[in-house]
Amino acid sequence: MSNLDEENNILIDTVREFCEKNIDEKKIEEEKIGKNMNSLLASQGFLGAKIGDKYGGSALDDTSYHIILEEISKYSPSIAMKIFMINSLYMPAVINTEYESILSDVSSGKVNVSVDFMNDKYSLDYNSNVSGIIKNILNPDSKNIVLFDKKTIIAESPFKINEKDFMGFKGLKFGDIELDNKYNVVDDKNRKEDIILNSYNDLSAIALGIISGAINKAMEYSKVRTTFGAYLKNYEPLAFKLSEMHSKENILRSILYNNLDKYYTFNFAMDSIVEIARFSVNIHGGYGYFKDFGVEKFYRDAVILKSIFYGNEQLRQLSNHVYSEKLNFI
Amino acid sequence: MFEEYNDYRKTIRDFALKEFTDGVAAKYDRDEEYPDDLRKKSLSLGIIDMQNPAKILIAIEELCRIDAGLGISVTTPYFGAEVLMLFGNDEQREFLNDVYSGKYILGLGVTEPSGGSDVAHIKTTATKKGDKYILNGSKMFITNGAIADYLVVLARTSNEEKPHHGLSTFLLNTKLNGFKANKLEGKLGVRATNTAELTFNNIELSKDDLIGEEGKGFYYIMTFFNISRIYVAAQALGIAEGAFDKILNYVKSNEIKDENTMFGIADISTRIEASKELTYNAASYLFKFEPRPQLTSMAKAYAGETAVYSSEKAMEILGVNSLNENVERIFRNAKIMEIWEGTSDVEKLIISRFILKGE
Ligand SMILES: Cc1cc2nc3c(=O)[nH]c(=O)nc-3n(C[C@H](O)[C@H](O)[C@H](O)COP(=O)(O)OP(=O)(O)OC[C@H]3O[C@@H](n4cnc5c(N)ncnc54)[C@H](O)[C@@H]3O)c2cc1C
Repeated sequence: MSNLDEENNILIDTVREFCEKNIDEKKIEEEKIGKNMNSLLASQGFLGAKIGDKYGGSALDDTSYHIILEEISKYSPSIAMKIFMINSLYMPAVINTEYESILSDVSSGKVNVSVDFMNDKYSLDYNSNVSGIIKNILNPDSKNIVLFDKKTIIAESPFKINEKDFMGFKGLKFGDIELDNKYNVVDDKNRKEDIILNSYNDLSAIALGIISGAINKAMEYSKVRTTFGAYLKNYEPLAFKLSEMHSKENILRSILYNNLDKYYTFNFAMDSIVEIARFSVNIHGGYGYFKDFGVEKFYRDAVILKSIFYGNEQLRQLSNHVYSEKLNFI
Repeated sequence: MFEEYNDYRKTIRDFALKEFTDGVAAKYDRDEEYPDDLRKKSLSLGIIDMQNPAKILIAIEELCRIDAGLGISVTTPYFGAEVLMLFGNDEQREFLNDVYSGKYILGLGVTEPSGGSDVAHIKTTATKKGDKYILNGSKMFITNGAIADYLVVLARTSNEEKPHHGLSTFLLNTKLNGFKANKLEGKLGVRATNTAELTFNNIELSKDDLIGEEGKGFYYIMTFFNISRIYVAAQALGIAEGAFDKILNYVKSNEIKDENTMFGIADISTRIEASKELTYNAASYLFKFEPRPQLTSMAKAYAGETAVYSSEKAMEILGVNSLNENVERIFRNAKIMEIWEGTSDVEKLIISRFILKGE
């Protein structure tokens, strides 16, 4: 079905085993991803999944990288997001620049880095000073942060962080930063769009993990919970919906690992993720509304993933791609 | 509909705008704390006016439009009152005055760990012993559970061939020996409301604590839900409107004009309008004492789904700008609307049952 070979299957088992043993998402959400978890992720080669071996990374191919993102998302979308930010956003911005050597410390978990993909207006002066506000950034407690202004730049710590509570990817710190920091240019172009575009499949892998995690929970619950003397799985509307969702999950997995058009894959993932995560909450009844049952987190993260990465802009790109021309949207 | 209450509506809205500021709402949400100070303040508004249920409906809608966690918290201290009002004895009805005045907080315990949709199969027992009943069992997800002075409780008093024939309702004083409430934490939304798991360990109830007749409890509770669901529809309507307010504000202040967003605005506002029509229409029958439960269930289910739809749309349209806690809180609050007082699935079962009966 999914075009995965023996080696891929071994990797799947390894990641699952790691997650089963080490990941308690409720704790991660409460305490944030700490030093211990960082070292664990580094020692498994997850933090530097795509970073070259020159910098202590695992230099994995796309399929293996996606397996890691998918499997970890089933347990902890927060950890998957962290890995994604390093490998899909930060690394492409710094590779082949003077910053590239920092990747050693990133893949070994020694330093935290971040990328601001939500804002694009800062003031840069000629003394290499950047000011302005970074609103809503994941991982603000970083050594340096990639920013996209007219150019692609890197701001250097220390950062003045105003930490905030946030409903999604809660394992990562979140907040605003009041910038008054030194910066360096890493590219004369703003590379945000091409970096994000190149990460569509990676985001789809995270989405697939969330979808799969949510459906697994729902299916399991439907087999053990009874109402009116029958298992939930024996009620048509519930079984039909779950089966439909399960088939969507498998279609997504198949198009992702068979490397179909990344625009289509990402659209399919974003189109199904919220509905599926929401339904998983529904089927758990009152329990679904509580953290302890480990399903509402998928709903929160699904909505946040979509809010951040999938809006009108991405739909325009999809349409341009389908029409093979830049459409003149009114 | 209900236009005669426009001034009252405005009074409530002004109260909510003044008291339920973003900072206050965020604080209670973060701390998962019941806003008892706001409950007391809200008493002056005359919301809990059982002679005039339209006022309750409007108050719930307007309060939830500003913040559902706080809005629901201040309007649930009388949750369950209709059971006493309709089926209680004189003394129990008299007692309600102390609930309306804010002296006592009330709650309703039906759901159990083993199930909420399937009310007929609850397991809590009230075993008759002389002229007393001995209450044993547990209840789950009970709103006000850890702060209530009294609870209306459904329990099994006899084992009948049809299980729903063996149920009775009681008014339980939470100070009695054997009562334990364990506050549940970690809710997705409506975090200012108090939710608890309850255990009853050989609680001695007197025969005067029985509400109405023995064996009629299931019927009383179903009658109650057919009323209370209209208030959930109003909660949901308020949440949907609140989400839409955020969208409109964002679209206008950023001068967003693209057609996809315009279509979104049209879709959301249409659904909200339909929810409002359904809710007010069902309410108008109910408030004339001509209840049409299928209409109430339609309103509850549809408004609930609309609250979820609108709040998800707010997250989507505002995109990264939705990441501030005042928008995401609306999203988190909305989901409960599809769960409590009958999940959307249960509402659908009720609707089709009534339609097929030709009522
Ligand atoms: C915050 C909160 C506050 C609450 N407050 C109160 C309160 O004050 N008092 C009180 O008594 N209860 C309260 N509840 C409980 C609430 O009413 C129940 O959670 C709800 O009725 C669902 O029951 P359940 O959780 O047992 O789910 P279940 O009954 O186990 O249902 C699980 C899932 O199966 C679906 N399902 C069940 N039967 C069928 C069927 N025949 N066909 C199709 N689908 C079906 C349901 O829709 C649901 O999706 C509260 C719940 C929460 C979360």
